[in-house]
Amino acid sequence: MVSVLKRSLAIITLLIIGYWLAQGLAGVPFGQDRMLVGKYYLENVKAQTGAVNAVTAIVVNYRGFDTLGEVTVLFIASTGVGALLWRRKKRRTAKTEGSVVLRTGSELLFPFILMFGTYIFIHGHLTPGGGFPGGATIATAFLILYMAFVDYEIPHRLFEPLEGLAGMGYVLVGLIGLAIGSYFLFDWIWQTWHWGAANLGRLFSGGFIPIIYTLIGLKVGTELSGIVDSMLTEEVRE
Amino acid sequence: MGEANRFSRYAYTVIVLFLIWILLTASLDRQELIFGFLLSLFVASFTYPMFTSRGLGNLHPRRVAYAMAYVPYFLWAMIMANLDVAYRVLHPKRPIRPGIVHCKTVLKSNTGKLSLANSITLTPGTITLDVDGEDYFIHWIWVPDEVLGAKTEGEHVENASRNITRPFEKFLKVIFG
Repeated sequence: MVSVLKRSLAIITLLIIGYWLAQGLAGVPFGQDRMLVGKYYLENVKAQTGAVNAVTAIVVNYRGFDTLGEVTVLFIASTGVGALLWRRKKRRTAKTEGSVVLRTGSELLFPFILMFGTYIFIHGHLTPGGGFPGGATIATAFLILYMAFVDYEIPHRLFEPLEGLAGMGYVLVGLIGLAIGSYFLFDWIWQTWHWGAANLGRLFSGGFIPIIYTLIGLKVGTELSGIVDSMLTEEVRE
Repeated sequence: MGEANRFSRYAYTVIVLFLIWILLTASLDRQELIFGFLLSLFVASFTYPMFTSRGLGNLHPRRVAYAMAYVPYFLWAMIMANLDVAYRVLHPKRPIRPGIVHCKTVLKSNTGKLSLANSITLTPGTITLDVDGEDYFIHWIWVPDEVLGAKTEGEHVENASRNITRPFEKFLKVIFG
């Protein structure tokens, strides 16, 4: 008895929601282009940002403030991991050294992975990719070293200041925009200096997108390496 | 094997990384080349100690020639091994006799051992399970009679090595040492 009641209630609810959606969609004329914002981006992206990759231009330029928020989210996540796994004295405690194949392979691949990560984030305004995947790729290079060597640790003294400086650099670029132009994250390199206007679609173009993506790449790379480090080191007692 | 001096190792790393950069970008645009070269200089500055121990010695013409000859040789070996495994799979009696055999290598360098292990694994039918010093432990889809029926450990190693590692070692010995 109860199940019949439940089921009929569910069916009635679904009917109401369905009617609602149908009513809402009926107001949209069928077959007409409603992508006004998307069209605006596609038509103006080259003139307004100097980037040929519209997706990156939207993420970094039109919606740069949102991306700054994403970087902050990642920073908070990394801080959370660090706080949860914090111990007074931490060290690598892995016992089994990788075999000669793993060790040699990781040594040979390490520079290539760094190159590839940099390639991804420096070409953010030209190809799919950008600071986040580039930084994640760089972090995998360090992850591989952690896997292969029992006593490897990232250079903390270099990475922790670098992470902070990269994050501050992003805000600084935005503040310079505020000083030169009219708003935070104003693209001064492109809109005021018109730097790179002669070589659209080549490497040195795209306004401040490559600069911001380099900063994001460094930040994400050091941050994720830091998370890997927090997870792979354990507390030691004297 | 002696270690080359630091400049030679650094220069070799820069050259390899720059070639990789050109392959990645697939472009000879001057801006890409300038940035790629600077990046190679930078990345090589802290990775060269782990990347190479012989430096520019790796670019000896004899080594490069052997490395280029190794590519078609290895591809041919891989095609033949593929056909062999396909035959074993499709044959109604399924003639497989898997087992783990023990080989010894003459290669000294770690890079050489790595490429030998990967060459063995990439040819179907054989998989490198572990490398310990000069000892290779290899899983083989068809252990032949001469290896299976070997009287002594030495004979077993000799017969297995002759079949699996020797053909690759001819090249890898020259390329990597």
